[in-house]
Amino acid sequence: MKAFQYATAHSTDSARELVAGNGLYLAGGNDLFGLLKEYLVGADLLVNIKSLPGLNKVEHGKTFWTIGSLVTVAEIEDHAEIKKVFPGLHDAAAEIASQQIRNVATVGGNLAQHSRCWYFRHRDTQCLKKHGDLCYARDGENRYHSLFTGNSCISPVVSSLATTFAALDATAIVLRDGQETRMSMAELYHGAWENPLAHNSLDKGDLILRVEIPTTRTRSAYLQVSDKHAFDWALVSCAAAAAVVDGKLKSPRVALGSISPVPHQVEAANSFLDGKVLDDATATQAADLILKDAKPLEHNAYKVPMAHAIIRRTLLKLKGDA
Amino acid sequence: MNNPEPENFGAHSRRTFFKSLGTVAATAATAQVRSVAAELEKANAESVIGPGAVPVTLKVNGEKLKLTLEPRVTLLDALRNYSSLTGAKEGCDRATCGACTVLLGDTPVYACQKLAIEAQGYEITTVEGLAKKGNLTKVQQAFLQKDALMCGYCTPGFLMSVTALLRKNPKPTADDVKHACAGNICRCGTHPRILQAALSAAGVATASKTEVVNYV
Ligand SMILES: Cc1cc2nc3c(=O)[nH]c(=O)nc-3n(C[C@H](O)[C@H](O)[C@H](O)COP(=O)(O)OP(=O)(O)OC[C@H]3O[C@@H](n4cnc5c(N)ncnc54)[C@H](O)[C@@H]3O)c2cc1C
Ligand code: SF4
Ligand code: FES
Ligand code: FES
Repeated sequence: MKAFQYATAHSTDSARELVAGNGLYLAGGNDLFGLLKEYLVGADLLVNIKSLPGLNKVEHGKTFWTIGSLVTVAEIEDHAEIKKVFPGLHDAAAEIASQQIRNVATVGGNLAQHSRCWYFRHRDTQCLKKHGDLCYARDGENRYHSLFTGNSCISPVVSSLATTFAALDATAIVLRDGQETRMSMAELYHGAWENPLAHNSLDKGDLILRVEIPTTRTRSAYLQVSDKHAFDWALVSCAAAAAVVDGKLKSPRVALGSISPVPHQVEAANSFLDGKVLDDATATQAADLILKDAKPLEHNAYKVPMAHAIIRRTLLKLKGDA
Repeated sequence: MNNPEPENFGAHSRRTFFKSLGTVAATAATAQVRSVAAELEKANAESVIGPGAVPVTLKVNGEKLKLTLEPRVTLLDALRNYSSLTGAKEGCDRATCGACTVLLGDTPVYACQKLAIEAQGYEITTVEGLAKKGNLTKVQQAFLQKDALMCGYCTPGFLMSVTALLRKNPKPTADDVKHACAGNICRCGTHPRILQAALSAAGVATASKTEVVNYV
């Protein structure tokens, strides 16, 4: 790593001030140190945000829960109430990386983590995402890449929390220019849909403060498939959430990770599922709708049947013993 | 791309060079040692420090280490290259192998992915700090009894992960052990023996042979 200065911020105001020059926020550091060690990002100053007051709490109200951006992934995994109220979120957290990483990885850092595309991560490769003029993955090794994209970069979002928050229709509250801005998961990643240089919609200095999850969807489920059984990113991940009234789905949402620069959601599928009794046939039709416009590349076509299977499985898991 | 970090120190090995830079291991008895609390307050004050070396005080295995480190120095480098604690190993330096696992309090973390400066104020335990007065812990003994190592490079990391698990969950299932150790990789493939060792240290009847052999 190149040398940098270091400061611990004690208020969000000073965090923003400190980071304003050539600074970067430091939370758990799992992603950031990887980037710094490969010289993929540079910073003159790391602003440790882990002492910011009030951001390390899980709070529940009647209509929504609030999870602070400094809450760790392990705290989500170990939270007995979260496991009951948002089982999908528990399952997503429990499958993230390893115990050592979950112990320090934060919600904010997990949402803001950078692309895992191996061309992006290679320090000698100057692809589109690094101001080069070519996407190397498109005609190269693209087995881990997207089935959907709104631009020329096909690097997918890999945050398992983002996938699950999207299905739960959670909102990220982001401090931007001193104002609290509310962003759906679709909005939080829209920047990466449009712009090959972006990993998300955050501007420099934007600070994720917390995530609000509505309690309306009383059921949730999460599944991922990876090359390795554990300690690996998902090839495809899927989260689903809904309320079940008289055996019928209410306000269902399905989101997929690792197949698009944004958590992949298809409104037509959500409205198709609304009011339906879940069975194999409806789950299959929903999966068809969700993957209808998939554009597989040379090495990632396997993701289409894989995604189809885990959409069905996640939905049937949602059904539970309804 | 150029690596801006100096690698070659002529006659000095990297480690002896770093150590000659003014590392002082101080015991609590040393006069004029500022208290850890004062150090911490200074380190955590909202002031910008570095990029040059700054005083960093770590509490490792119950002993205070007063070091002078650039903010960019990782906890792993501070232990291995600026102190004599080479028990935590460097495998990947990228949070993907677990060889560098140490405990902050009771929590296992990768020392390669944390700055030394951030670890101030924690009780840090490395593998050197497990045995007390030369008596191996139950977990260490179980590793020996079950022959749970070959080259031994991954062993310190696994010992820390298993030790932390048993503190949190004294009667784990085989799946609990696998989940806790998923972030530790053994290139020699000793995982089934490590699983047996962890269960035996916990006094949990060893899982069936198939369960142990089917370690994934
Ligand atoms: C082998 C391996 C497997 C993994 N598998 C998974 C997986 O399956 N699913 C998954 O989701 N992740 C996975 N990860 C990634 C890991 O979960 C993330 O690196 C981690 O969650 C990042 O969180 P952090 O707090 O350490 O972030 P940091 O590294 O501290 O920060 C990451 C980025 O976010 C910025 N940032 C941090 N906090 C904020 C904030 N509050 N507001 C704005 N910006 C902020 C930082 O400046 C930095 O750019 C895996 C990692 C490894 C090594
Ligand atoms: S997918 Fe994106 S990050 Fe990967 S090579 Fe192409 S432009 Fe770069
Ligand atoms: S050296 Fe830290 S995880 Fe490999
Ligand atoms: S015993 Fe050799 S790496 Fe595990």
